[in-house]
Amino acid sequence: MTAELQPPELSHGGMNAEARAAHSLTYWQLVRRRFARNSYAMSGLAGCILVILTAVFAGFIAPYAPQASDRSLLYTPPQWVKFHEPGEGFQRPFVYGFSESMDPNTFEITFEPDPEMKSVIRFFVQGSEWTFLGMTFETHLFGTDSGARVHLLGTDNLGRDVFSRVIWGTRISLLMGFLVMAAALLIGTVVGVTAGFFGGLYDLVIQRVVEFFKAFPDLPLYLALTALLPRRADPIMVFIMFACILVLLRWADLSREIRGKVISMRSLEYVRAAEAVGASNGRILFRHIVPNTSSHLIVWATFQLPEVILLESFLSFLGVGIQQPMISWGVMLNQILDFQSFSAAPWMMSPVGMIILSVLAFNAFGDGLRDAMDPYSNA
Amino acid sequence: MREGNTSKAPLLDVRDVSVDFRTVGGTVRAVRGNSFSVGKGETLALVGESGSGKSVTARAIMRMLAENAEVGGGTKVLFRGRDLMELPETEMQRIRGDRITMIFQEPLTSLNPIYRVGDQVAEIILSHRKVSKAGAKREVIRLLKEVRVPEPEARFSQYPHQLSGGQRQRVMIAMALANEPDLLIADEPTTALDVTIQAEILKLLKDLQSRHGMAIILITHDLGVVRMTSDRVCVMRYGEILEDGTTADVFSNPQHPYTKHLLESEPSGVPDPLPEDTSEVIRGTSMRTVFRIKHGSFLNRRSMDLVAVNDISLKVRAGETLGIVGESGSGKSTLGMSLIRLQQPTAGAIEFRGNRIEGLSKRQMRPLRTDLQVVFQDPFSSLNPRMIVRQILGEGLVVNNIGGSGRERERMIRDALVEVQMDPEVMDRFPNEFSGGQRQRIAIARAIILRPRFILLDEPTSALDLSIQAQIIDLLRELRRRHDLSYLFISHDLKVVKALCHNVIVMQHGNVVEQGPTGKVLQNPETEYTRRLVDAALNPDMA
Repeated sequence: MTAELQPPELSHGGMNAEARAAHSLTYWQLVRRRFARNSYAMSGLAGCILVILTAVFAGFIAPYAPQASDRSLLYTPPQWVKFHEPGEGFQRPFVYGFSESMDPNTFEITFEPDPEMKSVIRFFVQGSEWTFLGMTFETHLFGTDSGARVHLLGTDNLGRDVFSRVIWGTRISLLMGFLVMAAALLIGTVVGVTAGFFGGLYDLVIQRVVEFFKAFPDLPLYLALTALLPRRADPIMVFIMFACILVLLRWADLSREIRGKVISMRSLEYVRAAEAVGASNGRILFRHIVPNTSSHLIVWATFQLPEVILLESFLSFLGVGIQQPMISWGVMLNQILDFQSFSAAPWMMSPVGMIILSVLAFNAFGDGLRDAMDPYSNA
Repeated sequence: MREGNTSKAPLLDVRDVSVDFRTVGGTVRAVRGNSFSVGKGETLALVGESGSGKSVTARAIMRMLAENAEVGGGTKVLFRGRDLMELPETEMQRIRGDRITMIFQEPLTSLNPIYRVGDQVAEIILSHRKVSKAGAKREVIRLLKEVRVPEPEARFSQYPHQLSGGQRQRVMIAMALANEPDLLIADEPTTALDVTIQAEILKLLKDLQSRHGMAIILITHDLGVVRMTSDRVCVMRYGEILEDGTTADVFSNPQHPYTKHLLESEPSGVPDPLPEDTSEVIRGTSMRTVFRIKHGSFLNRRSMDLVAVNDISLKVRAGETLGIVGESGSGKSTLGMSLIRLQQPTAGAIEFRGNRIEGLSKRQMRPLRTDLQVVFQDPFSSLNPRMIVRQILGEGLVVNNIGGSGRERERMIRDALVEVQMDPEVMDRFPNEFSGGQRQRIAIARAIILRPRFILLDEPTSALDLSIQAQIIDLLRELRRRHDLSYLFISHDLKVVKALCHNVIVMQHGNVVEQGPTGKVLQNPETEYTRRLVDAALNPDMA
């Protein structure tokens, strides 16, 4: 009868020092705190937010429309933003325009900054129209007061602003990443969870299908895509087909991982306890098993996104991915496929910077998330 | 021996040791300014429940704490007069494994699975002494012989998975003894082992100590172990030493109320008398459960039948508690799970209140689930970590359509929590906020909220600290009385069985060795196996 005599304070939260310290912190609160302590992960998160905002508000950030070209300014180098002018002292940020000259021997065109063609940079200027959620806006983040065009990262072979195109390209690259990741996540989870839970012949068949997909040589398949599609196919169509093929080759790994987790979870005591109170298979799946795979899924997703971005830019660079006039970072790099144009206009490499930034940011974010979700971590 | 130590300076003198852990939830003060000393050849027991800071204290002495630990500034650990806290790490490495050694709780994970057992022991010798490889091997075989590992020459080249749990713990002890240490720290050395093997290991430690004259710090939550082995004892709670004295004094005349509480919490009492003419609730006849284990290569597929339950018949009457005891792997849990159809029996008949249930499908079983409930062994994996207590308890009500409105269900959940002596306000908390005993109470509440007639208790107390074990046993006994429940109680601990069960079945390798009324079986065990179990649990000094 000692139990009745036991004061409730002693049995309530008292026996275990750790239990008292962890008091009323839920799993997600704990994850959030651990994540916030990790400065590398936090800078990754900041980078991710920056990239996503860039994609969403591309129209506002980019000074020009992606296809707007200026035939008089082909292959101009980047213009440096200056604050100091000789003889005039410090002033508002401004850029110099270029005066063009041609070498009479090599016929090479060179651009020299011309102090005569000075334009001052202004913020929130009116420019070309862009639409967001069905609304039309004309305000851009920056531009010049005189209306002269400013090209922070130079122009390409058609005189289009590289900076604006990089910003607009974020949209397609990121959209592709999210679409492929989300679809592969959905398929992989459904297949993996059902295979792990029901087992038997169904699992046997599914596993052979998974092996078939994993055995597929992916690069030839991507290359075959261009052959498969009609010559003048709609770019949207190509985009969707391309996404489908990426998904097709990506869900298999996840389904294997999830299947393993579900098999080990199926024999856990809380799942058997649910069975013992008479819960149906559906309830056990959706209330007990799927929620407990969520941390794995989230981490998988954050690591998958940068992989898809890299793959997309690689394939588009080869010319088998996204097709013009859609622009992604890979498509932009496709313009400097030959060494000549690369040496003549190295600034057209600038999408690489965005690729590195976004891949690093998403990886750092995913890495931090994985550490924060580790149930055995006590830091 | 005790008197001899008081004159000399102690071997280990720990002064004002304190350890804090920095965690996300704030700083946890795990050990708070404790002082104690161990003399040469003496055994000191650190006793307390889980989370009381015993292991952390030991690890602080060895300077083997986790990265987020912070040792307090005033901490002094004087080992033969030298302060270990001030030694450089290289110096400390020379002391660890040589002068001070440690054995851990889990023999399954403390040996490296990819190295041969003998090489692991030899490594300890070679890294501290200048001996040849052949010399080290001879030494290892001598050590294995000393810790009574059978056939030491053959065991030398075996891998850890080829050894049983008890043998692995012996190998760990051999490693700890390899360099004739002055101090051995044993951190719950027998907790993970079967009861019968526990007694043998403790006896071995005692013998080795008297032969080598080393000091032992024994960390345990088991007062039976303390009484059997230690000279002096420190009782710990919340990181503080509450009481400190010779074992005989502390046991015969405890000063601190907590020590008294611990001493009183050995499972006690007897089951309520069972009326003569009660009806039968569940009966299993000639039950047999076989696992088919597939092995071999893809082309040369072979399978082997593992008979977990071999032709066992049992029946439980209304109000009866039937105990099933045996060592791990004897098929107790499989028998229980087969009886309530959470495991598919291979053959045999099961009758629940006169109706045959062995042939029912999963769907047909569902209406019967409210009557047949189960409480599992491990309170940490039996509650879904993503659900709050309200959802965990409410699940059975929802799926069985009990209690129409949300308010009605909430009232039932509240009542169930009160019945297991928990504050109903815990309803909106997640399981990770509770200690093992509290979680087990929640698991019991999940079973009784459905008003079952029969509950399978699968080692419900063996993962808990002793003092909490006793509370859970009292709770189970009271619930049985209040709701006229029948239990099938699975356990390896005869002390608990004695306090709770009317009848008992002793199992070994899937077979019934002995069965009958608990008192009769425990007093006059007919087989050697039962006698060993009884001795290990009830008369530890004789083992």
